[in-house]
Amino acid sequence: MNLNIKANKNNTFDAIVVGSGMSGGFAAKELTERGLKVLMIERGHEIKHIEDYDTAMKEPWDFEHRGKTTNLSAEERWANSRFWGLGSEEVVNHLTNDKENPYIEKRAFDWIRAYHTGGKSMHWGRQSYRWGKHDFEANAKEGIGIDWPIRYEDLEPWYTHVEKFVGISGQKEGLDVLPDGHFLPAMPLFAPEAHFKNKMMERFNRPVTVGRVANLTQPQDIHTALGRASCQYRSKCQRGCPYGAYYSSLSGSIPAAMRTNRLSILHDSIVAEIIYDEQKKRASGVRIINQNTMLTEEYFAKIIFLNAGSINTAALMLNSKSNRFQNGFGNESDQIGRNLMDHQLGSGATASIEGFEDDYVYGQRPNAMYIPRFRNWGNDKQTAYQRGFGYQGGASREGWNRGVGADGFGADFKQGLTKPGAWTISIGGFGEILPNSNNRIYLDSEKKDKWGIPMIVTDAAFVENDWAMRKDIIASAVEMLETAGFKKVTPYDRPTHMGLGIHDMGTARMGRDPKTSVLNAFNQVHDCKNVFVTDGAAMTSSSCVNPSITYMALTARASDFAVKALKKKEL
Amino acid sequence: MKRREVIKNVALMLGGAFSAPTLMAMDNWENATKPNTNGIAFSLTETQQRIVAEIAELIIPKTDTPGAKDVGVPAFIEMMLKDCYKTPEHQSFIEGLDSMGKVKFLELNTDEKRGVLKFLEQESKKITSKTTPFWRLIKELTLLGYFTSEAGLKASFEYVQIPGKLELIKLKPNQKAYAY
Repeated sequence: MNLNIKANKNNTFDAIVVGSGMSGGFAAKELTERGLKVLMIERGHEIKHIEDYDTAMKEPWDFEHRGKTTNLSAEERWANSRFWGLGSEEVVNHLTNDKENPYIEKRAFDWIRAYHTGGKSMHWGRQSYRWGKHDFEANAKEGIGIDWPIRYEDLEPWYTHVEKFVGISGQKEGLDVLPDGHFLPAMPLFAPEAHFKNKMMERFNRPVTVGRVANLTQPQDIHTALGRASCQYRSKCQRGCPYGAYYSSLSGSIPAAMRTNRLSILHDSIVAEIIYDEQKKRASGVRIINQNTMLTEEYFAKIIFLNAGSINTAALMLNSKSNRFQNGFGNESDQIGRNLMDHQLGSGATASIEGFEDDYVYGQRPNAMYIPRFRNWGNDKQTAYQRGFGYQGGASREGWNRGVGADGFGADFKQGLTKPGAWTISIGGFGEILPNSNNRIYLDSEKKDKWGIPMIVTDAAFVENDWAMRKDIIASAVEMLETAGFKKVTPYDRPTHMGLGIHDMGTARMGRDPKTSVLNAFNQVHDCKNVFVTDGAAMTSSSCVNPSITYMALTARASDFAVKALKKKEL
Repeated sequence: MKRREVIKNVALMLGGAFSAPTLMAMDNWENATKPNTNGIAFSLTETQQRIVAEIAELIIPKTDTPGAKDVGVPAFIEMMLKDCYKTPEHQSFIEGLDSMGKVKFLELNTDEKRGVLKFLEQESKKITSKTTPFWRLIKELTLLGYFTSEAGLKASFEYVQIPGKLELIKLKPNQKAYAY
């Protein structure tokens, strides 16, 4: 190890947080608020909140290609543009250039990345659901994967803590399958959705609720103190919100951490390796490579939080080899990189709706309706697959683009398209994927990226359980839309791979036994307790709900634990 | 040229352009060559540009509000094809223009032109190729170019840049759609 003694003092912090996305931002906030001097290291370029949201206030005609994906961006963003709309010039420059940051697909994996301040928290779908008790218990009960080392009760106060800070709009429903949280006022369901909700309860006893979404419907002091304002219902969130109305690391956790004067952020710095001190038997810091200058530097801290995103966190650990950890950092169990999970999406059904001609909406709702899991739940038992799925979707009136597929042209046709079209509805499933040690990422033994770091290989795919569930996602969607009395019900099944849910997780899972897991109940690496992993990598199973607030809750809980342990000199 | 002949010609052209052997040849060509990703090869002749402009204006004519030509749709279509579409669509588009050239589209009177487009619209529905047919391409790009242009959008819809609230409302008679 080549210690740079001169830089040592300036390069030493209480904590290092690797990554500035959803969980890294939260780690920085929690650790600085508890008095720690924190260095946050982001591999991508700097984006300044509001200032750098360069497309946020653009008008439709300001976009040369009117929001379509160009051949050039499809080529540069060959993975990102697999997700609908992410190749669009509205957002594309904020997503990673895949050509410059390639990975190897042994089996195709749609890896959606945003290498810049705030990471994917700038672009997320903002849907925020607590896990239920069952989600933490199912692995043990069903003998799948390994048991979670924690239960819902362990995380419950941290969910509340996160929800209050983030600001989540939602409707309390009193459901075990989808526990209520601490909500700001709910957004409305549209008239045909309210009809759908009633029909589903009447005919199937299935609840439907409006999406729980991290957009401020009624900002509280905790939000306005950071300059966050109420949602303006433009629904252009993914460009970055100039009002700070939706939560991201940029609008929330990073400003909160900066406020303490204890946060430093290093951009353009790829963490290539965790430095392990063989004598002290703990990690002493990290080695970074500047992505532009290629210069290497070392930074040191008492504790290290890994929040690089599940795949990059796993890759970093695998690349951190020492005498003690010859198979990768904390990888005695050989579980790092394995059990890669996601949520399957891309299938469901659409329909057209007759009636409700007088019902219209002013403003754009940055949200959807949500149908909680009903499969393998309560009295429902599926023989073809395990676990379940939820649906997201909603109704809207058709716009001018209905004219593309319709017959006609000319003056009347033109005039007709200026009126709101008929209501249509679409629902799509988010399905739980089970942990499977054959679904994994690993480092290529020969090929290296331009920074000399081994390239990441994705080797994961849907298995039988996922395909059987997918069939039911489609069939149940059709059945529900037909039951609601909607017309022209049409199933859809878009070709997707794992990864497209953008919920990749599980690559350094928590567990009770160091032989089968990487992290303990407080997200500490079993074999090196001053390193914490609190991004998606920590997940032992995937549930079917969107994971971000769970990552944040795990992060807040681990941060609290880490600071207490530091104070007691246990770390 | 009589209407009947026009239609017969278009039918022949379309039949020829999209027959199975042609599609196969197109596929082979596609496989044998690198897809033209930056579209450098795609450009239209002046006559082709005139046909595009004429068709775009027939789809969205000038009325008491601007038409396709007023807001620059013809140039938009060519730019979009070049930047956002690949070789199969380029070929499909050029073949469509060729068939318009063969029926001397620009020399027809307005009724005849409309007749050709109506026929084209019906014929396009029968095409099962993965490649978007000419009619669909030109229609889609005309509507996109027009309804998202500043003048087209503002003339057609009630433009609301910052709604500031979300409200369930009842539609008033003849109310235009909101655009955001």
